[in-house]
Amino acid sequence: MKGAIIQNFRGMRALVIHPDDHNRRVLISVLGKLGLSVQPLDPQDPDRAALAACDVMLVDTDSAIEGAPQCGAAPCVPRIALIGTEAPSRLARVVREGCTSHILKPIRSSGVFTALLLAVNEHEQRQKTAREIDAMRRRLAGRRVVTKAVVEMMDVHGIDQDDAYEHLRLAAMNRRLPIDDMAREQLARSGPADLPIGGASEKQPRTIRKNASCKRRPNQ
Amino acid sequence: MQKNTLKIGMLLSTSGSYGAVGQSMRAGAQLAIEEVNADPAAPVTLVPVEIDPGCVGPAYVDAAQALLVDHGLTHVLGLYTSSSRKDVLPLFEKNDALLWYPSHYEGFETSDNVIYTGAAPNQHIIPLARHLLAHHGNRGWFVGSNYIWAWENNRILREALMDAGGAVMGERYFPVGETNFGALVDQILRDRPDFVFTTLIGDSGYEFFRLLRVAAVAAGIDQPRVMPVASCSLSEAELPLIGAAAAAGHLSSSVYFSTIRSPENDRFTARWDGRFAHLGRACADAEASYVAVHLLTRAVAKAGDFGFAPVRAAARGLRFAAPQGLVTLDPDNLHCCMRPRIGRSAANGTFELLHEDCSPVRPDPYLVWDTVAASTPCYLEVVQ
Repeated sequence: MKGAIIQNFRGMRALVIHPDDHNRRVLISVLGKLGLSVQPLDPQDPDRAALAACDVMLVDTDSAIEGAPQCGAAPCVPRIALIGTEAPSRLARVVREGCTSHILKPIRSSGVFTALLLAVNEHEQRQKTAREIDAMRRRLAGRRVVTKAVVEMMDVHGIDQDDAYEHLRLAAMNRRLPIDDMAREQLARSGPADLPIGGASEKQPRTIRKNASCKRRPNQ
Repeated sequence: MQKNTLKIGMLLSTSGSYGAVGQSMRAGAQLAIEEVNADPAAPVTLVPVEIDPGCVGPAYVDAAQALLVDHGLTHVLGLYTSSSRKDVLPLFEKNDALLWYPSHYEGFETSDNVIYTGAAPNQHIIPLARHLLAHHGNRGWFVGSNYIWAWENNRILREALMDAGGAVMGERYFPVGETNFGALVDQILRDRPDFVFTTLIGDSGYEFFRLLRVAAVAAGIDQPRVMPVASCSLSEAELPLIGAAAAAGHLSSSVYFSTIRSPENDRFTARWDGRFAHLGRACADAEASYVAVHLLTRAVAKAGDFGFAPVRAAARGLRFAAPQGLVTLDPDNLHCCMRPRIGRSAANGTFELLHEDCSPVRPDPYLVWDTVAASTPCYLEVVQ
């Protein structure tokens, strides 16, 4: 269901990076009841294999940072901070590591489900936003190339802006390419004979009259 | 041999808007206490210390404080609503005390300070959703008291109906105690759902049953047949309060009904009817309280100790031949393995058994494993 929140964590692999104490035992027990398979890991003993093989990470912020897994080395999974001391130096790490929720110590059975649900759903949302931003950046970067190709086609073939863009768009569609890739290709092999032509399925192409007067805007 | 005395707190509202349920719970616990105290082999003599918070929210915390601190008790039986349980839990954690909680509830909790002897959601709402979809259809109308019990059960049933391609035709919430349902029942009768699901509690529920029945009869609709009202809480204690004219034909999902046939239940109901007939027939909340007291006694015997940690450790995995059948305390989440059942209320204040799962179902308080769509292990049709 689109837009539905993730509320069942059955089968998820949780990595708990925390010293072996009462907090860790309570946490492991509750995560087990929630259907997750849990691997505990001592903060001083970073195991790269364990880092790669988890779906959610619960990280102690009270342990010494030295020797603990660095965020760059870890995969992009939801992170939950396990916070004892609310000191700025420790909390800065929570922010740096992009933790999407937290559990305050001493850890009790209540609060774990909430932290997990928020972390997983917030992470999902961040991933989605990041993907959208990435797509927009790419489109923005491509816009310059498209404009350049359109202008060049107008100059070379004496067509107007709309016709030039329409040709580029149809050609991209027929070859199933992003329009900026098509534009890049067009610029690379530019020349009077190389007006991009769509395939047979395109709608009736407009007549191209060489050297016809252009309807270029003054500022172009 | 001189038996030790164990004082147990009884934190039950026997007065107030849902006082009827509290009285049944108290009576169920009382029967078990008498049995334990009459048994020469039992390790203890139980002495109840009772406080009645009168269904008043803030009174629960004061009552728990009095039982745990002033009386210094370690074991307390009681509570009905989830809000009162959430309010007092920090006190139990702080004082290393154990709450024996004898009520069905909406789940999503596994406190180490609670032994849950009422049904978890996979033992009440999930079986009811399956029954409704199999026998009545997928278009429901939801009516509830405005708190967590209603919200969470409605969420689960709504998702089940959506998955089955059905619809929620209407969904309304009312303050606890509301009884003005005239416009609501008219709307429901106009919408003609396949069933009505109610999570109204106490007086609100009783009035809703009455008004819906009166309006249906006036409109010439055979309401119990064409749009039955279903619930996860309607019990024998409440049928007399609805009144004979509207008490029959409602569906209830419960692990216990007084009509279960077993030697254990025959003994239990005979004693109940002899002592507490004025409270209606024996009901699920009374039986869960009865089971809680017996489990506590067995855990104390096994631990050889009254203390919080030894008793809790001893309780894990305990088995008891209860009136409802074999009850096992899940060693992992401290809820009980019990058999889901569906009953239909009759005019005589009992429930006719329509379905029961063929074996006890493991409690799944977070609904990790049990879903409506998951194939049910085996389902028994009760042939009447």
